[in-house]
Amino acid sequence: MTAAGERLRPRANCVIEREKPMEPSVQNCLHGVGISLLSELDVLIFVYRHRASLTSADQIARLIGYESKVVSDVLDRLERGKLIERSRPSQGVCFYRILASMDAEHGCCLQQIISLSETRAGRLQLAGRLKTLWSDS
Amino acid sequence: MSEDGLIKTGIKGLDSILLGGIPRTNVILVQGVTGSGKTLIGSEFIYRGIAQHNEPGLIVVFETNPDKLIRDAAGFGWNLDELQQQKKLQIIFTSPQVFDQELRSPDSLLLETAREIGAQRIFVDGVGLLNTNLIDSNSTHRTYRELLQQLIESLSRENLTAMFSLELGNARDSIATAETTDFLADTVIQLGRERHGRRIHRSLEILKSRGQDYDAGEHTLQITGGRGLEIFRRVQAPLPAKSKQPTSSTMRSVIGVEAIDTLIGGGIFDGSTTMVVGVSGVGKTVLGTQILREGSLKQKTRGLLISLDEHPAQIIRNAQTLGLNLEEQVADGTIQILFESPQELDIDSHYARIVKLIEERDIQRMVIDGMTSYSTAIGEIGVYRDFFHAIVAYSKQRLMTTFFNYENPEFLGISSYMPDFPLSSIVDNLILLSLVEINNSLHRCISVVKSRGSKHSFDTREFVIGQGGISLVPLEQNPVPALPLQSYSSLLSRAPTRFSLPKRINGAAAVLDKG
Repeated sequence: MTAAGERLRPRANCVIEREKPMEPSVQNCLHGVGISLLSELDVLIFVYRHRASLTSADQIARLIGYESKVVSDVLDRLERGKLIERSRPSQGVCFYRILASMDAEHGCCLQQIISLSETRAGRLQLAGRLKTLWSDS
Repeated sequence: MSEDGLIKTGIKGLDSILLGGIPRTNVILVQGVTGSGKTLIGSEFIYRGIAQHNEPGLIVVFETNPDKLIRDAAGFGWNLDELQQQKKLQIIFTSPQVFDQELRSPDSLLLETAREIGAQRIFVDGVGLLNTNLIDSNSTHRTYRELLQQLIESLSRENLTAMFSLELGNARDSIATAETTDFLADTVIQLGRERHGRRIHRSLEILKSRGQDYDAGEHTLQITGGRGLEIFRRVQAPLPAKSKQPTSSTMRSVIGVEAIDTLIGGGIFDGSTTMVVGVSGVGKTVLGTQILREGSLKQKTRGLLISLDEHPAQIIRNAQTLGLNLEEQVADGTIQILFESPQELDIDSHYARIVKLIEERDIQRMVIDGMTSYSTAIGEIGVYRDFFHAIVAYSKQRLMTTFFNYENPEFLGISSYMPDFPLSSIVDNLILLSLVEINNSLHRCISVVKSRGSKHSFDTREFVIGQGGISLVPLEQNPVPALPLQSYSSLLSRAPTRFSLPKRINGAAAVLDKG
């Protein structure tokens, strides 16, 4: 048991609050949206924050500091995973957007991930989980 | 779009300076240094187009994160997210290179999006970045001028009214970029951000606008949280199409004290301007308060007191101690008090507030108490003169009777009406309130030295301030222990001198005992 785990164990003289509805855990959220790699998280957050990006995988790669092939593959996976959508291509670029018709469960998980990524602590937490997943895979 | 073919920007104050708006399809360039408000003016141009004129729009950004743009806009109450969901707005993040190729491409996604939402306006944030994109996909080198011409042509073909923002810098290539862009744009708006003392002053100037006239010169730009941009027309600009000057032959009492009205020729004309000059503490504010009360109570005119020195609560309290109850008039709105701190005074917006108050409340009598604080706050004699010229012109246009209190720096006697910023020539009437030292006491005196169109007295009379305000000391009941004021000459020249020659009492000559 970790120290953190011990802190969670109720003590005899503690008043235990009534249980609040549980938000999905970070792990569940990442699983829920099918994110297993840090690069996937970075590309997803980029697309989320830029709303409608008229760009190419190359350009996104340059902006977030990945190799073009990695970003290109990630964009394909995110699209297959129904997280993002892309328009028809024009002169080598597409519109990349978060999928508008995302189901509620996906949406909830995505919101939590985005929310976590807005703080350094949250980002470290996400990166830690993804690393684990990365190591496990 | 309005019937006159002008597109309204919807930005408060800007369309008025543009004399209605900007000709549709004019390419508008907004340029300025970092932090001058370029992205904001572009965002508001698009937002107001959608919200007020049902003209959908596109915002194209190269460097700004759209998320932050939406967040910042929300601070002004503009819900860009909602407009995107309603398909009235599309914010597009792209690169200058992609933007350029998209505008030239027959199957452009960007133009397809514009057509889908029925866009009529487009804002491109950071057009200068296109200068880094001078080699096209066919490896052909183009000049920035050519690239910009192609861009403008493409937008014009799509019938989009475009606004570009351009960052101004001091580097040689930045200046060259600005010169080229200025030349090709139809309307050039320059935003300024300058330090005035320790505060920041934002300005807006229209450098050119093809196909229309506009108010030239530097106007004030303000950015207010929750509202957005507001442009205040510079005060000195003449009002278009308002050259007719109304006049009135109606003469009214100043403070309801007959003797004073007699002194100034039976009262003053409606629409006249009067300067009251005097040292601090001589009674200028009391006179101002009485002027407004007289107007409100007896002549049923609405009054406005403007002060940069005293808070309304203090003005009301001080008046109360003299039995001049302002509280009721302030409560029922017949007298307004406008107070602004001189430290943060922005003269263009201050003037706009005065005009708004006058028009909303139908003010007919105004007292500015006092001008010295304006000279300190404004600093520049040209701007100071412009402000008072504008106030005088506006007062006369409305036939509003206006009084300016001016604090003369000389304690005893007056050698010059306004030694720092001479403005006495622009007013119709000039009243001097002076302190005169006789024996070992100071006496308050009033003299009317100018009253256009009236037969006024040139006598200097003693007055006192008591319950009810200012009243003249009767000539025959002078409280001066030794001799009345009329026994002295050179009262205003710092050296009152007693004389024993015949003097006037109530207009009649009399002989005074030698002594």
